[in-house]
Amino acid sequence: MNLCGVRLAIGERTLLEGIDLEARPGELLAIVGPNGVGKTTLLRAAAGFLPISAGAVDVGGVDVRTLSHQQRAKEITLIGDDVETPHGMSVREIVLTGRFAHRAWWDWVTGDADVFAADAALERVALSEFAQRSFDTLSSGERQRAWLALALAQDARTLLLDEPTSHLDARYALEILSLLRDLARDGRAIVAVLHDLNEAAAFADRIAVLGAGTLLACTAPTEALEPALLERAFGVAFDTFDVDGGTRVLARAPQAVLKGT
Amino acid sequence: MTSHAARIAALALLAVVALATGVFFGGSSLAPDEVVRALLHPHADGDANAIVWSLRVPRVAIAACVGIALAVAGFLLQGMLRNPLVDPFLTGVSAGAGAAIAIGVALGIAAPFLPPLGFAAGLGTALLVAALARRGTGIDAERLILAGVSLSALFSSFVALVLLRIGRNGADAILAWLTGSLAGRGWNELFATAPYAAAGIVLALVAVPSLNALRLGTSIARAVGVDVARAQWLLLGAATLLTASAVSLSGIVGFVGLIVPHLARRVVGSDGRLALVASALLGAGLVAVGDTLSRSLFPPVEIPLGVLLAFVGVPTFLYLYLRPAGAARLWGV
Repeated sequence: MNLCGVRLAIGERTLLEGIDLEARPGELLAIVGPNGVGKTTLLRAAAGFLPISAGAVDVGGVDVRTLSHQQRAKEITLIGDDVETPHGMSVREIVLTGRFAHRAWWDWVTGDADVFAADAALERVALSEFAQRSFDTLSSGERQRAWLALALAQDARTLLLDEPTSHLDARYALEILSLLRDLARDGRAIVAVLHDLNEAAAFADRIAVLGAGTLLACTAPTEALEPALLERAFGVAFDTFDVDGGTRVLARAPQAVLKGT
Repeated sequence: MTSHAARIAALALLAVVALATGVFFGGSSLAPDEVVRALLHPHADGDANAIVWSLRVPRVAIAACVGIALAVAGFLLQGMLRNPLVDPFLTGVSAGAGAAIAIGVALGIAAPFLPPLGFAAGLGTALLVAALARRGTGIDAERLILAGVSLSALFSSFVALVLLRIGRNGADAILAWLTGSLAGRGWNELFATAPYAAAGIVLALVAVPSLNALRLGTSIARAVGVDVARAQWLLLGAATLLTASAVSLSGIVGFVGLIVPHLARRVVGSDGRLALVASALLGAGLVAVGDTLSRSLFPPVEIPLGVLLAFVGVPTFLYLYLRPAGAARLWGV
């Protein structure tokens, strides 16, 4: 996936402009930035769900706007953070839904290829033993893995994820992030919006920092988490630390907050 | 044979038995061998032949058509709106048709013209509801429900007003229509309506794979490759055509479109394709049995079909679903 000179606007208001961003196969790319900067909107536009005001989004070398819905779903998919909880469906049924783009409307019988893809996806996210369980009974971390399995069954080359760790505790968040990195190593391009800068630092190959209405940097974690850059994006000062050879950051509370004024 | 195929086969068998019951029982008592003879010799003369081929068979066929149409329409709308409480009349079809028919009766329009009038008014109302529910290129579920409920209330008050102002005879005609009945319906009505119902079924078959994905919400549906707006319009179009066909054939038969999809999901699970077929079979069987009872219990008086189905069906439904721990089964796993 390749974004080139993308501008996003809501009505008259420009949200982001001049976005050049490439998601490379084999790589986990994290997108970070302050609330409201347009991270979710950017993902949705990259997935072809929202129109862009300028520039182009290419997937597999083709302008996303020229693809049919089903063709697009074979190239790129987006698991948002607004997914609803389906009722009365087994985990396997949900994962099989990922095969939609691979089936014609008259193809009513679930074929071996679909079953194989769904089962392989469940195995990849270590949910095989949950296949027959009702989705309602899964924990938040297991649900997130089930959505990832759906995306894997869909077999899109680029996976976009909006805050995949937002409802997870520390352990589950680490599990999901390691899994994402492994999935990238399988040869997919994975792009995840992350809130926690240190999660991004620990797991991403590159970090894209959005701020002030544009892409401030897209580079390796050590360079992306440079305090001056982060301060420009988030509007607060940051301290950086070295942990096991990687960079970690901590936002410095503004003096006004500390004094309680 | 998989367990799902076996269950569908069992439902098909039940539906056939239900339809056969409708041919063998009715207001006038015919011995079973007379019915069989009439069925085997459709062109022979005699009372039994007339009763079987001019009264019972067309009514059973109409009952099946109404049952399939309402059950499938309810199934499509419940899935599309992700709301188990939706029934096919939500789109305003029945209320619009009801108002048009009440006004038609008040204006003295001849009885044969009332069903097509109801059909057209039902479609018109659904179009208005759809226009109000539109957001962007697609349909907003909440707006659809609000528009449908509001317009239905408006048109129902039209009907009430006409009922208050019109004489006894007119009121009877309107009430018969409001309580749902197949009395006096025959081949002509069926042939006039069947093409629209068939078109609705074709749209439903095209849209049902998308419905499976829409059960996961529009966000995931879009991600897996569903053209959400197109799927929503197809589903709404299918449900509207089916409901308007059913309403013009039978008046307002409640309960079928709300309850049958729940029963179907309970029998075959929530896969859209299987549940659609199961809904159609259960709907056909249920309305056929209901209509047979309505004309056989107290001949020559017919109990209104909608009333009878509600009397029998609602307690059954409450027992099945509102027992402790029953509510979780609303989506039927």
